[in-house]
Amino acid sequence: MSGTPEQLIACHECDLLMERVTNQPNEDVICPRCHARLYYTTINSIERLLALSIAGLILFIPANIFPILSLQVFGQSQSELILQSALSLFEGGLVLVAMLILLFAIVVPLFQLLILFYISFTLHYRRQGRLLLHAMHSYQHLRGWGMLEIFLLGVLISIIKLKDIADLHIGLGLYSLAALIVITTLSSIFFNPHQIWHQIDLHRDQGVIHER
Amino acid sequence: MSDKQPLFQSARQQGYLLCVDCEKLHLLTQEGQHCDRCGARLHSRIPNSMTLSWASLIAAILLFLPANLLPVMTFKSFGQGEPNTILGGIIHLLEQDMLLIGLIVLIASIVVPALKMIAMIILLCTVQFRLHTNLRQKALMFRIVEWIGRWSMLDIFVIGILVALVQLGNIAHIEGNDGATAFAVVVLLTMFSAIVFDTRMIWDSSVADLATAKREQKDNS
Repeated sequence: MSGTPEQLIACHECDLLMERVTNQPNEDVICPRCHARLYYTTINSIERLLALSIAGLILFIPANIFPILSLQVFGQSQSELILQSALSLFEGGLVLVAMLILLFAIVVPLFQLLILFYISFTLHYRRQGRLLLHAMHSYQHLRGWGMLEIFLLGVLISIIKLKDIADLHIGLGLYSLAALIVITTLSSIFFNPHQIWHQIDLHRDQGVIHER
Repeated sequence: MSDKQPLFQSARQQGYLLCVDCEKLHLLTQEGQHCDRCGARLHSRIPNSMTLSWASLIAAILLFLPANLLPVMTFKSFGQGEPNTILGGIIHLLEQDMLLIGLIVLIASIVVPALKMIAMIILLCTVQFRLHTNLRQKALMFRIVEWIGRWSMLDIFVIGILVALVQLGNIAHIEGNDGATAFAVVVLLTMFSAIVFDTRMIWDSSVADLATAKREQKDNS
């Protein structure tokens, strides 16, 4: 096989070396050996990510400041924020578990939204992206560690476990959380690393991004 | 005869190296240097992948016992109540005819971690002993395992939510127990084991075989 590295491509899952082919929009290029998806085209990826990250950051606020559930037994009531599911374990001495919940259900999702906003804003408005490379690395390494959808399923299971022994009310926080999950899921679909790295290359050629 | 290329050749065999972070192709001689596009350190394969993956997997298997034997939470009402293990919680759900929820928790908390550990053993053995059968199925298995493993955190979130919500003093309150820590660490370790596992190693033995076959062919002709 001959050619410069620019005309060649290697599969990230099985290291098969191939010649690059051009693909149509909405057409995936699949590795012939291990069937991994090599690259694909996402239409208006940056603009969609910008819109989604703004919507996500807005929704993040009500999801975290309004209670997700409240419970009433014998006239006593108790309501719960996402943060409190971590805090109460912390007080109970399960520090590690509390920290994991804090990370996976609050810190990582928030970070992902902020990073996504930074990347899409920088690329869309052609700003100087001093932290662009760090942002890309962070986002790619954080993939899979934001677990809002699992947290939501956890809330639903808790509701079913408690519904016989107490009166439960779903709070505004839970609806915001559900909407936020739609946003984060869509944004992970529209995040096309291959294409964004290519855009970063183009911006660098125009001298917008500083060399390391 | 010898001009004919084998069907599949890896980038490494051809003197190339792929940046795992931004997927830019470099020359193999740049091993250990920084990628000129994204700045990540270039490695043809993840360094110490097998050792790290085996180590975290074995630790996860060992911790899976206390994770299932120790209680994860205690429900107390008017001073009475007993600690619950993960399996105990599932049986409790099934007894109350909450079949669907019971099954979801059973799959997420016990079936998925167990299957994930078995899958990682199969994959690590494939690389360790240079097995080269059903590689495509194994690649698919890895993708499924990597995607589904995080759902094991479900029970941890349920414990967190219940502990926070049911704090009604003497009437009823729930507290977390050490089993939850063990279980959370099992999930973390299996996720880490999959992250450091370099899937490209699965295919290296098949590539090596092709190269050997080619060399033998040459010698015969």
